[in-house]
Amino acid sequence: MSKVFGDWERATLARLADLLIPAGDGMPSANQAGVAGPGLDEVLRLRPDFESPLRALLARFAESDAQLTVVSLQASDPDAFFLLTEVVAGGYFLNPQVREAIGYDGQRPVPIVPEDPPDYEQNGLLASVIERGPIYRPTPGTP
Amino acid sequence: MTDNGFNRVPDVLVVGAGASGAVAARRLASDGFDVVCLEQGAWPDYSRARAPYPDFELTAGRDWSWDPNARQAPADYPVDDSQSDITALMWNGVGGGTVVYAAHWQRNLPSDFRVRTLDGVADDWPFTYEDLEPYYVRVEKDWGVSGLAGDTAFPKSQGPPLPPPPLGAMGRRVAKAHNQLGWHWWPGPNAIATRAYGRLNPCTQRATCLWGCVEGAKASVDRTYWPVAIDRGVKLVTGARVKRLLLGPDGLVTGALYVDRDGREHQQRAAVTIVCCNGIGTPRLLLLSADDRHPDGLANSSGLVGKRLMMHPFGTVVGLFDEDLESTHGVWGQHIHSLEFYETDASRGFLRGAKWGLQPTGGPLSMTRAYPWGAENPIWGSNFHRDLRKRLGRSAMWGIIAEDLPEEENRVALDPIKTDSDGLPAARIQYRMSENSRRLMAFHQERAKESLDAAGAYETVIAPFIRATGWHLLGTALMGADPARSVVNPEGRTHDVPNLYVFDGSVWPTSAGMNPTATIAAVALRFTEQLIALRREQRVSA
Repeated sequence: MSKVFGDWERATLARLADLLIPAGDGMPSANQAGVAGPGLDEVLRLRPDFESPLRALLARFAESDAQLTVVSLQASDPDAFFLLTEVVAGGYFLNPQVREAIGYDGQRPVPIVPEDPPDYEQNGLLASVIERGPIYRPTPGTP
Repeated sequence: MTDNGFNRVPDVLVVGAGASGAVAARRLASDGFDVVCLEQGAWPDYSRARAPYPDFELTAGRDWSWDPNARQAPADYPVDDSQSDITALMWNGVGGGTVVYAAHWQRNLPSDFRVRTLDGVADDWPFTYEDLEPYYVRVEKDWGVSGLAGDTAFPKSQGPPLPPPPLGAMGRRVAKAHNQLGWHWWPGPNAIATRAYGRLNPCTQRATCLWGCVEGAKASVDRTYWPVAIDRGVKLVTGARVKRLLLGPDGLVTGALYVDRDGREHQQRAAVTIVCCNGIGTPRLLLLSADDRHPDGLANSSGLVGKRLMMHPFGTVVGLFDEDLESTHGVWGQHIHSLEFYETDASRGFLRGAKWGLQPTGGPLSMTRAYPWGAENPIWGSNFHRDLRKRLGRSAMWGIIAEDLPEEENRVALDPIKTDSDGLPAARIQYRMSENSRRLMAFHQERAKESLDAAGAYETVIAPFIRATGWHLLGTALMGADPARSVVNPEGRTHDVPNLYVFDGSVWPTSAGMNPTATIAAVALRFTEQLIALRREQRVSA
């Protein structure tokens, strides 16, 4: 595990993260999914630009009541809230078990099959649009 | 300082390698012109496109941010937008904005060229839809546009060369609703290849078009135009930031002074210069080129350089459905578009209109963000898992491109304090949404909500207004016949300097309510062929 963030910073993040993404509906909480552990390391590897502002944010709230922190941050500092939620949710959705549980396997390719009949032709879908005729205003003076 | 024109003077210098610069350079080279293009940025690095990887959503904004102030790449210049309702977005590199655009390929409508005549406001364009139509047809072939001929919102014309992408479950659902409402819809036209076409590969519907098309299916001009132009002899110089245009004693442009990424200055001479730097960069360069003879900036005797900035206020409405619409995927891009409320109906309380494009909503991280879902609809906390399931793959959204009318108070100027990395004054923009724009947007958001309600959405969200939507930068070097009231003439030539041209969206008299690339490209081709046709009359510096 990276030493970039110390135990107290990870503990602070874990408290905040579990308020944002608690366990439920058969899904792990953010902390259970490793968001404050290896998830944080991976997020910071991918987004090193997050490190400095996240460190400052966690320092601000190390001693605070986590519930109050999250509620107040969203209203008082939307940019900081966005950073926190990107780190937490970003790390959460990098977890392969989470991705499998929500049925999301990434932005996989879905090739267009040229042989498939066009779906805009199904059941005369365009017929009423065509039947209605032109809807534009022509250039003045043109037929 | 080096002088690249010491031994020979190219026929044409193009400044900027985005859509209009690419069209001009390729067409000129095809007729044997000797062309040099100076581009301040680099070629896009598609190895940084992360669509195939689990971290795509997390890293997309890292390497493919649209905001130069956030990106702060070496080629970017700051844009002070503190006095603007909308943030100016751009890509400074080969391909320009087409590298990160959504590739919605929308021709303007006939009424867009006759706003004064039909609606009594703003200005008419100096040419008509019918004048431009043949150029639309040609650039659509060069671009590899996909779509379907016969759209009833447009005059009859030849269709694009490729079939449209599938409507998909969400497109079919909304299309059926529009049929019930009696509202227009049509398969979405996109500059996205649905089949292998030229240098383009077929789209695989990853819905990652705006953050580096990993398949090479999106028609950005770094892929479609520049390789052809270079094959035909165009010299494209990257990392070349133009500091100012140079003038001869006869008042004609002799070329440009630029600085490379190592800080060395060069002169690039040319007989004719075409500026293609977008609606912010073009006026910035003309203003940077002020001298004793032109204290208010080059080609600015009208005082209009930088004024009438238009950026298209943008709205989004999302619907939640009880069916898997597979809306994590698709083209992004648009699956269908609607122009039902595009034309003016003064009884609505505003003039002009907007185009709607139906888009996917993305992966799970996108489901958590305040845009488009709204801070008042937080996903966080005890309902996180329930709300994620409600949104992921089961949502669809209309993107609304609203026409904003030109106002001289909305403008680009040089920043008196901030500079870019080469010490050149940054751009400063001032832009306020008009009452007409606000009414227009509110009306369209409500109609888009009705559309999704009719499609069976059990919940709809009108996305909060956000500033970071200024993809379309238009109007700041007005085209017109009167030198006292415009910057360039109807052929794109500046009234003040006979061998200086502007070919980008800066010349637009009005903004239309369409994504602008199709018209930027068609106008650039028209301008280029007019320049070629009149080449024997072209004045050049001695």
